[in-house]
Amino acid sequence: MSGVLAHLLLVDDEQQILRALKPALAAAGYAVATAETGHEAMAYLAGEACDVVILDLGLPDMDGKEVISRIREWSETPILVLSARDLEHEKIAALDLGADDFINKPFAVGELLARIRAALRGRERRFSTHAVFKSGDLEVNFATRRVALQGYEVRLTPREYDLLKALARYGGRVVTHRQLIAAVWGPAAQVDAQFVRVLVAQLRQKIEEEPSTPRILLTEPGVGYRLTPEDEA
Amino acid sequence: MARQWTMRRITPLRGIWRYAAAFGLVVGATLVAEGVYRLFDTDRLSMVFLAGVLITAVTLGSGPAYFAAATAFVIYDIYLVEPRFEFTMNSAEDYLVLSVFLAVAMLTGRLAGRVREAQGRAEVQARTAGALFRASEEFSSSDNEDAVRQALAQRIAEAGGGEAMVLHDSRSWSWPPGLAIPSALAELAARPASEAAARESGWRLRQLRADGVMVGAAAWRVTPLDDRPTDSPEDDEKLVYVLVDMAGAAIARFRLAAERAEMQARAQTEQLRNALLSSISHDLRTPLAAILASVTSLREFGDRFDAEVREDLTLTIQEEAERLNRFVANLLNMTKLESGALTIEGVSFGVAEVVGRVVQRVQRQAGARKVVSGIRPDDLAAFGDPILTEQALANVVENAVRFVPNGGRIEILGRSVGGKIVLEVVDDGPGVPEADLQMIFDKFFRSAATSASQQGTGLGLSISRGLVEAMGGEVFARPRGDGHSGLVVSVILPGAPS
Repeated sequence: MSGVLAHLLLVDDEQQILRALKPALAAAGYAVATAETGHEAMAYLAGEACDVVILDLGLPDMDGKEVISRIREWSETPILVLSARDLEHEKIAALDLGADDFINKPFAVGELLARIRAALRGRERRFSTHAVFKSGDLEVNFATRRVALQGYEVRLTPREYDLLKALARYGGRVVTHRQLIAAVWGPAAQVDAQFVRVLVAQLRQKIEEEPSTPRILLTEPGVGYRLTPEDEA
Repeated sequence: MARQWTMRRITPLRGIWRYAAAFGLVVGATLVAEGVYRLFDTDRLSMVFLAGVLITAVTLGSGPAYFAAATAFVIYDIYLVEPRFEFTMNSAEDYLVLSVFLAVAMLTGRLAGRVREAQGRAEVQARTAGALFRASEEFSSSDNEDAVRQALAQRIAEAGGGEAMVLHDSRSWSWPPGLAIPSALAELAARPASEAAARESGWRLRQLRADGVMVGAAAWRVTPLDDRPTDSPEDDEKLVYVLVDMAGAAIARFRLAAERAEMQARAQTEQLRNALLSSISHDLRTPLAAILASVTSLREFGDRFDAEVREDLTLTIQEEAERLNRFVANLLNMTKLESGALTIEGVSFGVAEVVGRVVQRVQRQAGARKVVSGIRPDDLAAFGDPILTEQALANVVENAVRFVPNGGRIEILGRSVGGKIVLEVVDDGPGVPEADLQMIFDKFFRSAATSASQQGTGLGLSISRGLVEAMGGEVFARPRGDGHSGLVVSVILPGAPS
């Protein structure tokens, strides 16, 4: 295992995509296995160790969403979904079924690598207790509930803090409206996504340099929000 | 046809003529009585007059019967009762005879009247039923709204015994044909609830409604002639109303059917549009994703890749860009074909050259499959657009490439048949199920036997057909007839004029 950052499984039925991605992922330090069908992917996961699954939703033998729910029956391996930009409901459904994040097709390799790193971090975070989240000038200390921008303390309302904490906990991965509502208002709350939008706008006023062109708290149209992870900002 | 109704039944006598006839019958009875008197010298002739009254009552009804009774009594009294030729009313017998005459006239007249009435009613009913039946048949066998309106005008004219017209949207249908439309009527017909106003102009008007929507108005006028076919204008009017309502229902049915057809067409268009959108989404995005991933890989890790990987990535970029280009060309052609913007400038061209370009063009996609031209140079000349022919033929060959397994063979053959050029793309792939042969040229048709990796855009063959047909040719597919599996797609083009 010398020098291998992580093991990836790339599931896509388009040969040309596999051909284009494999060398870059290998060059970035990952060991890459590929599968062209859902069954092939599940068979691989049953037998081999894998750290992140990169899954195209349009597979020839079965629906990609089906693959996600089948994997989630017995595995917590992070799943990163490749999807078309205009299929929001597909993405939300995939995330609800247990996918960890998604990336819009077409994408640049750098973007994919960042998502893979976030997915790997998310897995680590489950086992460690990071007390501090950093993204560029923003620093969140979960132990003291202190939020600082360029070293100066920012005063947040309890809800704003809960929202920021929820996003920071996911560390660069997308968080859906529903997940945010559960984190801020409670799991049983009947709250419209509009409330999230308002709260996000408030929070951006306090932590973004230019709230109209956010760099830290990013919108995933139709799906939810994500924080720019600590090493990318 | 037009005057049919005047002959439908023997026109009964009317008004004063009935009384004249009654008088005639009484005179007749008098003559008979005179004859009997002369022959047998008897004056018990009241029975003869009674018979006259009876006949009058039966044939002419109550009124004339009373008249006949009175007349018969007066004549009888003057003519036969002593003193003769003098009217006297003094014996009990006189009163008895008059009473009997009147009683017979009354009873028989009423009875006969009832029978006649019942007969008349039955006749009207039969006529109404017949008219309704004919109308219903005619309405339901009409193939459009206007045919229903024309039939309605004719049916009303026949039922109402006169002239009729149906007005709608400043058009009119009349019976007898070619009636002049009074301008006031045309104006009234367009207004709702104008029946009463129309009545003043001598025309009756009734709105034609289909499901509550005004779809015209029927106007009719009783002919001023006295040869009306019926005694009961009310019945006629009711019949016309029913006819108009039936026509309205027929038109409503047409509209409903048209609406349903339109809805179906809309749903189909919607389905096509969705299929096109998802096809564009997938077929544009996949090559773009491969290109973007390859380019960004090269930029980010280019120095870490060895020459082979770099070559492979640049090849991917080239291939995918070519794929995109083909797809865009096909989309453009499809759009042009659909909008009718495709103008064909026909020229004579050598088929061998075009086929050669096609073979060259698909070489990279074909990979380990052999694509060969079986056409000798300068062998055949067709008439059409060489570039569009190349596109059409390339789509057929690309389709074959998708289905022929590695190591398979695709051959393009050509021959001249009766002034036409027949090009055949013969492959040794799995072929197409008989049931799907006709449909493979339909837009977005993908045979159920198609596996995912073989799926194309579903545009290629339909564009081939569109292009070839635009050039005056035709395309069809058949199984290979030589015992091998595989498909033969024939592209038939007009030959070059010699």
